Amino acid sequence: MTSTKVKERAGRIAFTAAAILCIVAVVAIFVFLIVKSAPAFVKLGVFDFVFGDEWQPSSSDTYGGATAGTYGIFTMIVGTVAATAGALLVGGILGYFTAVFLAFFCPKKLKRVLGATINLLAGIPSVVYGFFGVVFLLPVLALIAPNNGSGLLATSIILGVMILPTVVSLSKTSLEAVPRSYYEGAVALGATHTQAVFKTVVPAARSGITASLVLGIGRALGETMAVVMIAGNAATYPTGLFGSFRTLTANIVLEMGYAGELQEGALVATGVVLLAFTFLINVVFGALSSRAVRSAAKPKKERGGKRSAIGRGLAAFRARVWDFFGNVAYKGKSSYVGMCAAIASGTISGVILVLVIGFIFLKGIPHLSWELLFGKFEFASEKITIFPSVVTTLMAVALSLLIAVPIGIMTAVFLNEYARSGNIFVRFVRGAIDILSGVPSIVYGLFGMITFVKIFGGSSSILAGSLTVSIMLLPTIVRSTEESLKSVADSLREGSLALGAGKLRTIFKVVLPSALPGIFSAIVLAMGRVLSESAPFIYTMGSVIWATPSSYMDNGATLAVALYRLAGEGWHTNEAYATAVVLIVLVLALNLLAEWIAGKLNKKLTGDKK
Amino acid sequence: MKNNKNETVFGQNVSVKNANLWYGDFQALKNIGIEIPEGKVTAFIGPSGCGKSTFLKCFNRMNDLVSGCRVEGEFKIGEADIYDRSTDVNALRKNVGMVFQKPNPFPMSVYDNVAYGPRTFGVRKRSELDELVEESLKAAAMWDELKDRLDKSALGLSGGQQQRLCIARALAVKPKIILMDEPTSALDPISTGKIEELCEELKKTTTIVIVTHNMQQATRISDKTGFFLLGELVEYGDTDDIFSSPKDERTERYITGRFG
Repeated sequence: MTSTKVKERAGRIAFTAAAILCIVAVVAIFVFLIVKSAPAFVKLGVFDFVFGDEWQPSSSDTYGGATAGTYGIFTMIVGTVAATAGALLVGGILGYFTAVFLAFFCPKKLKRVLGATINLLAGIPSVVYGFFGVVFLLPVLALIAPNNGSGLLATSIILGVMILPTVVSLSKTSLEAVPRSYYEGAVALGATHTQAVFKTVVPAARSGITASLVLGIGRALGETMAVVMIAGNAATYPTGLFGSFRTLTANIVLEMGYAGELQEGALVATGVVLLAFTFLINVVFGALSSRAVRSAAKPKKERGGKRSAIGRGLAAFRARVWDFFGNVAYKGKSSYVGMCAAIASGTISGVILVLVIGFIFLKGIPHLSWELLFGKFEFASEKITIFPSVVTTLMAVALSLLIAVPIGIMTAVFLNEYARSGNIFVRFVRGAIDILSGVPSIVYGLFGMITFVKIFGGSSSILAGSLTVSIMLLPTIVRSTEESLKSVADSLREGSLALGAGKLRTIFKVVLPSALPGIFSAIVLAMGRVLSESAPFIYTMGSVIWATPSSYMDNGATLAVALYRLAGEGWHTNEAYATAVVLIVLVLALNLLAEWIAGKLNKKLTGDKK
Repeated sequence: MKNNKNETVFGQNVSVKNANLWYGDFQALKNIGIEIPEGKVTAFIGPSGCGKSTFLKCFNRMNDLVSGCRVEGEFKIGEADIYDRSTDVNALRKNVGMVFQKPNPFPMSVYDNVAYGPRTFGVRKRSELDELVEESLKAAAMWDELKDRLDKSALGLSGGQQQRLCIARALAVKPKIILMDEPTSALDPISTGKIEELCEELKKTTTIVIVTHNMQQATRISDKTGFFLLGELVEYGDTDDIFSSPKDERTERYITGRFG
């Protein structure tokens, strides 16, 4: 009796501890960001900082004495909003119609191919998109632009393409979740296919589509590296389609490397403002979409009531927007507009996807060589190799997964197996996970820089970078593990307990093995995330591409960071293409691996009958 | 399970006095008392939601898993008070096995399913496990069907086979009592017949308490029958008496099919 009881208690404590770690991570992020930015806010004045439109930092400024520079980020706030809006305009509309196309107007065979490709595209590193912008989009836009093509238009297009997969796959899922009977009901009343789709099915899927757009906005808002590569980055208001501008994220990554005391504080403060923005978006739109869900579930009369003025305004705005979409799609007696828009969007999306991948592959594959991948780096020569980055990437993936996977899985086990819903601690844990998933990756980079890097002697290292990114991976792992734990039937748990097995044995022998496919996919997706992120690494792990690291205390650049460096420096474009190919192939391979593992294990778990 | 001082000895008979059970504010069992004899099949019948499954799940304390569930009264298995603070729930469940409404084999091989219980209680030796698996599968009358596919996934079996495998799995830890919660409601008539035959065989060594919706089943296999209605045990006695000359009018109306 005793030893089992001790084990059970130890298990409970360990699982709870993991959950506590998630809360600690969130608290640490907030505390460090606030502590680091508070002196800057005090010195510069919150109002002047946020609404000042001149940014001319001086790296010799300190918290004491007079300041030589000027620190106002309003131009960047405007820039961020403009770029996000642009991205939503491009990616949101295109994504919405593409989802409708895929769900209702697409031949079956094409649908599978296109759907799968779009899913894979969600995993492509943002630096690759930025690079594509530099080598393809900018030269094209330069034909009509007064400059090299960079600026708001280019950024909007690239960000739009980046959020496209998110919008399409989530919207498509919610469109397909609408009961078939709605469609049949409409058609049975004499509606055409297009009418039934746009007037019956789409409205029923509104909340899901809104949610997909919110996620898209979040991604656009927090994007860093791709933007830095094509926005122009002047600290001015975006004037016109080709005006150079700077986003909040770009501001951090551009200047953090050489910032002085006050400047660093101001950059952390920029991160705080960015974070505030992210939460504002999530709260506002989250409320919006949950209201949509609620109002869809309730009859009309019960609505209204205690709604605030803002809430009413938002609801009215939302209704207006939806009517607009509905009407555009449905205009005219022929009602072909919607169908045409859907088909056109589907085609455009398909072309974009083929273009991004095809262009990079065509340009990159000829430059792939043994020498590039595994050669020795020689200075002052044309011999470029990404071998150090390959090593760095492997080390970073291994360590960050080693940290994040156990904590993530244990937290998920705590939430699903131990927690009682409604418990306040449980709500804190869930809140912490939600917050972590909303934090833009550059903010993780900031956090890692002012904590881990400082702890390990002030210089960046693979250790510091891996620790940073492991926090970022937590929400992904916790959520998908919890999903797969939820899908394990309770009857299995009962079966084990009824045989006299304890909770711990039930979890390890029955529940976790049954949830393995989901957990494996989560791990592989987390790998993909480490591969494709670059913003959190640049100042925590370093961006040195020529030295092969020999220990975790060395610094190094992951492949994604190496691509940023190679592309940014301009004279290694061919190697950059090849690196992009390597990155894409790796990410695609990981995605396929995840599906394969899940499929294989699923087959094993559901028996060999079929 | 090393507790030399006072290892609880669970008997084969169940004795319940003044049992009350609440789910939150809802009282699901009202003042129930019952004596379930050793080595017999006892059936609980009654309409859906009458509390018969809830009552059954008190015997191995599976109700502990339901949040907001509160139990009062005296539950004794043999001489052991199972709701006593000192009771080891895991040891209780080892002695009081359970078969569920829907077959719930674990997603592992047939062998590992049956060996799960013994392994839980520390049996590691392969020869010992082999023996237990064979013995249990024979006791569940499925050794001949399964001996060549012990390493195949249990999920590949038919529904009826899965349910008998679950019985074998429960038998592998040598329980004194087996609780069956509508074990045949998800099965076809032939599989149902096999499980009923099995009950006849098992009661030689094990007390069986079975919840069933099917009154014919109760008459076919049980020695004692309890009729539950709205959380009360309306009538309890020998199966023949209950079905031929019920004392309570409600019992009569139920078994003649006038409600439920």
